[in-house]
Amino acid sequence: MIGGRAGAIVGIVGVGGLGSPVTLALAKAGVGTLVLIDDDVVDRTNLHRQILFREADVGRHKLEAARDAIARVSPRTVVEIQREHLHPGNAGLLSEVDVIVECSDRYAVKFLAADAAQLLRKPLVVGAAIRFIGTALSTGPEGHPCYRCVFEDLPEGAQQRCDVSGVVGPVCGVIGAVQASFVLRILDGRPSYGTLASFDGRAGTLRHRPISARASCPLCGTHPTIDRIEPTRYVSDPCPQ
Amino acid sequence: MPVIVRIPTPLRTLTGGNEEVSLEAPATVRAVVDQLEAKHPGLKDRLLDEKGVRKFINLYVGEEDIRFLEGLDTKLTGNEQISIVPAIAGG
Repeated sequence: MIGGRAGAIVGIVGVGGLGSPVTLALAKAGVGTLVLIDDDVVDRTNLHRQILFREADVGRHKLEAARDAIARVSPRTVVEIQREHLHPGNAGLLSEVDVIVECSDRYAVKFLAADAAQLLRKPLVVGAAIRFIGTALSTGPEGHPCYRCVFEDLPEGAQQRCDVSGVVGPVCGVIGAVQASFVLRILDGRPSYGTLASFDGRAGTLRHRPISARASCPLCGTHPTIDRIEPTRYVSDPCPQ
Repeated sequence: MPVIVRIPTPLRTLTGGNEEVSLEAPATVRAVVDQLEAKHPGLKDRLLDEKGVRKFINLYVGEEDIRFLEGLDTKLTGNEQISIVPAIAGG
């Protein structure tokens, strides 16, 4: 049982285009503790969409810049920083949080966070954005449905990559806002589990679809086959910053 | 009756940038995929593999995921909107 916003610990995996609006919204909404996980440095090309950071932050570690930014707008928020990318060897970091918010730009991390959330019995909110589209999904601690009920496994072969495709800043803002609202609904005891939101920035449409649990899901189905974090399961092309 | 297929951004390189494709009276979702391939070669391979719909692709008829209907054999009556929702990374 999560004790409301002020007593909550929310883990944010990736503090970039999505993680920035999520972090700001949750801090200003009164979430007590934010655990930020990332290992990147602020690049000038990040600034159009990573709204936590300013020109003067270029070259700084993202988490240090993020901690300063949150201190300016919400000084009572406790910020813990983990200067590392999430990987199979450190997924245990997530065991201490009440809600996991996945905001990275890598398929492998999304599936890793989804598996860790299910195995740790934590609520999960996953977001993704590329060019003009974005999606956000909220799943409960028991799954039914979980991320793998919808997106079964890592894409194989050549996929669109954010380094060549780009990410439109406002799409990150919309999806980050949806993710933050999903988190607040969890903390307020009115979760939207099993909801997939998809935003089309060209059409300006935001749709919410209910998703269903899949009996054959390897993570939360009737005969799950994923019962531990196996490093070889999370191998895909990285998406450079 | 025409069926409208909404094409997600990652696949629009195959549709000449078109966000929607209108198809004439496909009877099933499988026929939708075949008509898409005829109009825009290469799309079918992005949606299906030898086992069916690719694992990271979701096909919706209206608001319903076809995995919970009759899969590719889901029947269409016309005027439906088909959405393709792929797993995406980025942020």
